[in-house]
Parts: sequence; C-alpha cells; structure tokens
Amino acid sequence: MRGCVHFELPRCWIGLITVYFHIMSMHRPRLMKLSRLIIAALTVASAFAQQAEIRKSLARINNTAQEYNFRVPWLPGGVGGGSGTGWVVENGRLMTNAHVVSNARLLTVEKEGDPKKYVATVEHIAHDCDLAILKVEDKDFWKDSKPLPIGGVPEIETTVSVYGYPIGGDRLSVTRGVVSRIDFRTYSHSVMDSHLSIQIDAAINPGNSGGPVLQDGKVVGVAFQGFSGDVAQNVGYMIPTPVVKHFLKDVEDGKYDRYVDLSISTFPLQNPAHRKALGLPDDDRGVVVTEVGSASVCYEHLKVGDVLLKIDGMDIASDGLVELEGERVILAEVAERKFKGDVVTFDILRDGKPMQSKVEFHGPFPYTHQANSYAPARYVVHAGLLFQPLNRNLFATFQFQNPRVQYYYARFVDDELYKDRDETIVLTSLLPDPINTYLDEFREGIVKSVNGKPIRNIKELAAAFEEKTEQLLVEFEGIGRPLVLNTAEVEAARDRIRKRYNVQRESFLEDEAK
Amino acid sequence: MFRTFIFTVVALIALPLQAQEKLSVVRVNVTSQAWDFLRPWGKKQPQTKRAIGAVLEGGRVIVTGDLVANAAFVEFETPEGGTKVPASVEFVDYEANLAVLKCGDDAFLKDIPQLGMTESNIGDELTVWQLESNGRLLQTKGPMTTAEMMAYPVDGAFLIYRMTVQLQGRDSSFTLPVVRDGKLTGLLMAYDNATNNANIVPAPVIEHFLKDAADGKYDGFPRAGYGLSAMRDPALRRYAKVPADVTGGVFINFVQKDGPADRAGMKKGDVLVGVNDLAVDQDGNFPHPKYGKIPTGHIFSTMHFVGEKLEVHILRDGERKTLDLTLARKAPEDYVSDPYIIDKAPRFYILGGLVMQEISRQMLKEFGADWTRRAPERAVYIDRYQSELFENGPKKIVFLTRVLPTPATVGYEEITAVRVTKINGVELQSLNDVPTALEKPENGFHKIEFDESPRVIYLDAAQVGAVEQLVQQQYRLPTLKRLE
Repeated sequence: MRGCVHFELPRCWIGLITVYFHIMSMHRPRLMKLSRLIIAALTVASAFAQQAEIRKSLARINNTAQEYNFRVPWLPGGVGGGSGTGWVVENGRLMTNAHVVSNARLLTVEKEGDPKKYVATVEHIAHDCDLAILKVEDKDFWKDSKPLPIGGVPEIETTVSVYGYPIGGDRLSVTRGVVSRIDFRTYSHSVMDSHLSIQIDAAINPGNSGGPVLQDGKVVGVAFQGFSGDVAQNVGYMIPTPVVKHFLKDVEDGKYDRYVDLSISTFPLQNPAHRKALGLPDDDRGVVVTEVGSASVCYEHLKVGDVLLKIDGMDIASDGLVELEGERVILAEVAERKFKGDVVTFDILRDGKPMQSKVEFHGPFPYTHQANSYAPARYVVHAGLLFQPLNRNLFATFQFQNPRVQYYYARFVDDELYKDRDETIVLTSLLPDPINTYLDEFREGIVKSVNGKPIRNIKELAAAFEEKTEQLLVEFEGIGRPLVLNTAEVEAARDRIRKRYNVQRESFLEDEAK
Repeated sequence: MFRTFIFTVVALIALPLQAQEKLSVVRVNVTSQAWDFLRPWGKKQPQTKRAIGAVLEGGRVIVTGDLVANAAFVEFETPEGGTKVPASVEFVDYEANLAVLKCGDDAFLKDIPQLGMTESNIGDELTVWQLESNGRLLQTKGPMTTAEMMAYPVDGAFLIYRMTVQLQGRDSSFTLPVVRDGKLTGLLMAYDNATNNANIVPAPVIEHFLKDAADGKYDGFPRAGYGLSAMRDPALRRYAKVPADVTGGVFINFVQKDGPADRAGMKKGDVLVGVNDLAVDQDGNFPHPKYGKIPTGHIFSTMHFVGEKLEVHILRDGERKTLDLTLARKAPEDYVSDPYIIDKAPRFYILGGLVMQEISRQMLKEFGADWTRRAPERAVYIDRYQSELFENGPKKIVFLTRVLPTPATVGYEEITAVRVTKINGVELQSLNDVPTALEKPENGFHKIEFDESPRVIYLDAAQVGAVEQLVQQQYRLPTLKRLE
C-alpha cells in the first residue's frame, strides 16, 4: 500500500473535455485583511477550548489493504498497510479520503486518549473525488465526539490549520499554513478526474490524508495530496468544501452516483477571422463545440459546430470561462456542481440560428478505463490463454509494447472506439501447454469476434467460450489469421492447465467487488 | 633548423611506402547534414564520419548506405592520409544499406589494386580490415557464426553474416571491409562491444546491388508483398484444409494491395508451400544450400530481380494452385507514410503560421529511439497501420504539426498534431493539393478542416497574404513552402 498522501508527479492532464486553454487560477477579492486580524485576536482565548473539542472529533484510521493482482488475477495480491486521518460528520459517520481506505480488508480507528481499537467499515467510497465515509458500529466510539461543522471556501492568504496523524504517529499533529491558490487540478487517486482543489503551504505528509483543514472552527477542506520533496516544497493540497458537500449530497440517497460531466470538447473563439466566418459579433463571447461523442450526455442535444453562448443563463466567454459566484471558472465547473438527473441549459447558435438546448445528466461518463481501478481484476482463462479488459492497472502491469494496444488505450474515447466494444479485451499472457504452443503471435492481440460474433466485453467473451460448438474461431484486430480452438481438445486440457498453474478460478467477470 | 625539417618530411612519406604493398581500400570521409523534420525549413548540424571503402572491379568504391545518408560532401583519402579528392555517390540503396562511390579524379584510384568478391560459409575465418593512422593495415580475424535474415537499419529485412571478432577502437571505422582469401565477403555495419558480435552486409546482398546497378539503372530489391503466419499449429492446419501429406506451408495473413502477390492472385488465407523449385516449411523458411534455413523473403528480395517472374505454389481450400508472380519494388514515396526520406528535403506548407506537413516515419523518428511512445499516438497509429487504414487513399496524410504564432493565428497557438482533411472544401490527397485549394477561399476566408477537435478553423485570406512576409522575416524562414 502506498503512503497515504499521494505524491503526484508533475504531468500534463488530458481529460474528456479537451481544454485548449490552460487551467486558470481564480482570483478572489482580498477583503479587509486588517479587520480579520482583529477578529482573530479576539477569538484566541476560545480557540484553545475549541481545539480540545476538535481532538474528540478526530480519529486515526489504520487500513490493512490488499491490492488486486493483474498479472496473475486468480491469485491474491500482496497485503500491506497504511494509516490516515478521519473526522466526524453528521449522522455518526467518519469522513476520510478514498485512498486511505481503498482495497481495505480490515479497517480500525483509534481516538486520542482511548486505548480501544474500533472496527470500521466503508459506507460510501468516491474514487473520482477521493472521499469516503466510514461507519463504526461500536457506540463507545461516538461518545463525546461531535460532528465538525463544514464551512465555505477560504480566502487566499488566510491561515488554516491541518489536523492529522502524519507519518503514522499516535499523537495528533497540527500544522498551520496559508491558502496559496485555488484551482482546478487532477486528483491523483484516480488520475483521470479533476476538480477544484486548494493549495496551502502547511506541511501535509503521508498520514495527514483525510484529515480536516480548519479555519475559525469550521472545516474548509480535507488534506489529500502533495508533491514529493524533490518536485516542490511547502505545497500541499486539500479538497475544498464544494467537493465535500457535493459528495455528501450525492450519497444522501444511500448510494454514490459519481460526478457527472458534459463529456464534450470545445474550442475557444478568439480568432477574429474565425468569429467573422461564423457570423459572430466582436463581443468575446462563445466557444464552438468540436467533439460530442455518442457516449456523452450532450449527444443529440449539441452538435459539432454549435456555438455555446450561455450555460444556465451565464455568459460563456470566448476563452471558455464562465463567471460563477464572482469567479471566472471553466465550463466544466458548472457541470461539477450538478447531480445525476439535473439539467443544464445552453443558449447556442446552430447554423447561425439562436436556440436553446437542455441537457439532462442521465448518468456519469461510462468509459473510465484510464482511471486507477480499485476493483478486482476481471479475466477469463480459456485454453491457457488469459484475456483481460484493458484499464490503467493492466496497462501499468504489462507495459504493452504493441502500438495497437497503446492506441486503443489512448484513443478509446476520442475516436469513439466504444462504438464497436464496451471495453478492449487483450490476450495478455499464455500459460504454456501443448494446446497453445503455437499461439504466441496472439499475445497482446485485441479480441474482435468469436465464431463471427463481435465481442463487446469480457462477459460476452466468457459466454462465447462456454458455447459448445465443435471449434472456436477467435478473430483479433489486425491479425490476419484466426485463433482456432478445438473444443474437445480445450476440454481435455482444462484440468491439466488448472492444476499445473494452480488456476483457482477460470474467470472473474463482476464489475465491482462483491 | 632547416635540415631537421627536411628530414621529417622525408621520413613521413618514405615509411608507409616501404612498409607494405598497396591496399585495395581508400579512406572515405563524409560530412552529412540531415533535414530537420520537426523544423522542415532547415537542416540539422553537419556531422563528419570516417570510414573505409573497398575498391572493387571497375574502380568502384563500396561502403554502407548509412555512411552516405544525407551526404553534403564526400571525399576519398589515401590510406596513409594526406591526399584527398572529392568524391560522389554513384548508386545508393538505403534499404540494403549499400552505396557505390566514384571520384572524378581517375588518377587517384588508378594504382589501387581491385578486390574480387566471394561468398562465405558458416565456420569460415573472416578478416576485418581497419587502418592505423599511419596507413598500416590492421587485420582482425574471427569465425563466421551464422547467416540469417535481420532487420536492416532503415526498412526491411535482408540477409546478414554474423561473426565473432574482437575489434580494436580505431579512427575511420564507420564502415569496414570484411575479407576472406583476399576477396571482399561483406561490409561490417554494426558491432557490439559487449558480445563481440559483428553484423555484416554479406556478399549475396552486395552482388545483387552491383548486378542491378550494372545496366546504369538501379531498380532496387524487390518484395512479394504478403505477410505470413507460421503453420505449426495443428488446429490452424485443419482450419486451412492442408492435406495430411503436406508437411510444410505457411498461412498468408496479409496481401498488400496492388503488390506483386496481389497481382498474381494471392489471397489472405492461402497456404504458401513453395517458390519455383524450393519448398517452404512450416515456419516460412526454405533450405538454402549454403546457409541452411532462410526465410522465404530472401528468395524474392535477393535471389531474384525486379521484373523477374516466379512460380508461387499455394494451397487454397486444400487445392494446389500455381500463381505467376512478377517481382516489383514499392518505393518509399509510394507508401502513405514514407518509411524513410533520405537525401530529400521534407515537404511542408506554411499558411499564415499553420505548419502543414505529411506524416512520414522519418518525421516520427525525430522523437527519438522510443518514438513509438513519444510521438503523437495518432500519427504513430497512422504510420503503423497505414495498409489497413488507407487502402482507398489518400496518397499522403496532411498533418498540422504546429502553429507559429502570427497575427493571423491568434487563438490557434495550441493546436498541434491534427490531421487536415480539407481546405476550402477540397479533400487533400497530399500537400500538392494545398495551393489549388487555396485559390478558392469562401467569402474571403480559408476554411481548414480536421478530422478531430478543433474540426474547423478559418483564416482571413487577405490577412494570410499580408502576414506572409512577416512570418518569413520574424521566424527567419528561408521559404514558406516546399512541395517538390
């Protein structure tokens, strides 16, 4: 298990919404700094009492975790451990980071001054925004602890305090820092998702993860990631309260639906010739839609070439920014605040004609293969051939050299490869046996069809293998010969392969851990 | 003072003359300067390489093609150094990695003895020739360990000889003659210090190259234009209906459109069992009288020439058939993405600051040794799978590689690595279509279309004309287009 703060490398992030403009920083008005100082001095006395209260609402979380084994998926992965911080929210629950409790086999929580270790379980986990909610059944755990109130977005240059158990320690640690900037940033737990995040210069170390960041007695963020020392110093990140509240609201109905997004690409309309050719006035408004995949919620509501002028009545500037509650934010931020079932309204120009288009967020974007997976490795073994759906973990495990696999991984969404398949199924390895001695050229091959029937996902592949036709013809993308399997021979080899390679289970097909 | 000077000069000239008889080699010094495919208007830094060329019959000097790639200046130098004359490339084949050089000065090569050629067998003792700085011949011997087909540096696989030899580090070692019994048997093209293995362009490839060039018109090494899978898998043999009494044969998994095999009527799914009187085994090898099992590709590329007719024996649905195959070569420029572009300047067109080029592997290789991972993945995919993606055109893929910021391209600066499909409604077959397409702007705008985001952008046609001079001056570009 990795340390509990995710140390991210500086890297360029490419998301579903191709952002041609760079992520901007948001400037908040600097409000009356002097008067704030005075208020701070007056409240110093009560702060000490408050801190004692805060301690009772904090817990150290110990996670015994087991990762999934993507190379030999029927074998269990290595067991490791880690610790982080949690804090009490309404309704007798603990909040922490998703990465603190991911792949957990046993969770225990401890409070300062209480020798008991309490068993906790994960109630909700949101890998896309790195937040989780834990339950602790034992009522003793909850005595004296009060939920911490959740505040708003702190202003730049104001001071915040980070509470937690960094680098393991048993005693609570508090560090203090200044809010440095607020921007849209990749959450490294999933790698694929970006949300608002707040940079502070307080030390945030492994073990701080999941801990509250407080200002004036209210939680203004959840400590979650930083850089390793050789990349940047005095840079820590917290998840701000709009994201925390979004998560809490999402799970109100008892289940987590994930973030919804527009899943479109837009291009800024800053070039004067571009504007004139589209018949737009010189008013620095509007962006043009450049990609609407059939998997996008906007499919059939927006078209490539539409000029987006307003979103929910707010003007869209020609650089793609929208003024939201006094801030200039990217278009995606408007969608960020929505939930499954919500509607967004666009004012558009289509072929020069003004119209309105309403888009309902019927669900989150389905293709998340580029995000870190915390679900068990899915696979089918047939005739000693191991077939697995392509995702980030598989890609990292096998380091595929085949350019076709690299292309399917990188361009699955952009080039709408999902029209032919739900996922890319790769023959990742062969368990040597006489039945597959001469099949090595199919290694890293992408499954296209079995007996002429296109295969869309691993379940369909497993079902096709179960059909008792005399022979199976498996076609692969771009390989000009079929893989031919004689069913009787496969059956004869089955036990032999299972025993020889200790294949405890020939397939695992479920999407989520059960 | 004066006396000492005279003495030194005499000693320098006299020593080598007395030391040994005339060698059949010349030093070859090449200064090459490759074009920069990421900045197609300019060349990279010049580089000088020194090598040893073998002098063959007719006073032809043979070296590896690699040595003279993008040569700006070639000169011959006597082995003992000193005298130099300008030289030039007479014939070159970058695929077979061979070049014949000539010099205008007949007197220079007149007294140099000429080498014959000989093939070698596995186990023969071969000698690698190097030169000491004083012109003395350094001979290092080693056994020939194998003959096999291997990928050559630029494109395609050909026969090589491999030998084990402990070479010394010497100047002028870019290409070295490999000799047996006083005759040339190959040119050393790659040497691995760690394993002491040397890869050699062998006599059969050199002889094919020279024979081809003998009529003054060089055709190159032909290919049959198919891909194969080994056929050891019994399930595949049953599927392809190969009769039980047939032991050899390979499965044809790809037939290049309009290639020699395609024109001969070969189809995907055929089983290739023989070429002329040579049998093809389950791995696609034939029994070579000298070298043992060698891949069938050697028959087409090196044992025969462009234009020759061969009989290709196949099984189709278990039935024997014989196809008449006429050998041809596909030139690099006939591919959608040229496998290599050497000695030629990259083609490009700069429109108001938009830099358009054609995708070629030469351009992708500018991203370094791991270009398949570092170059734009879309371009890598297009290059790699061009034969399945563009059977029906276009001829070349026009790519917007970068945008030079100008007043006309404000807001377009971040666009990079996207395929340009149309300009002003004209579908682009290659960069050659760009000037024609630009003749018809729509309402004073050039409309440029891509097959992905940003899909469509516009340039003000009048403004493009107005900024041309500015672009050229500000970015110090020698020219704004090159379409030849």
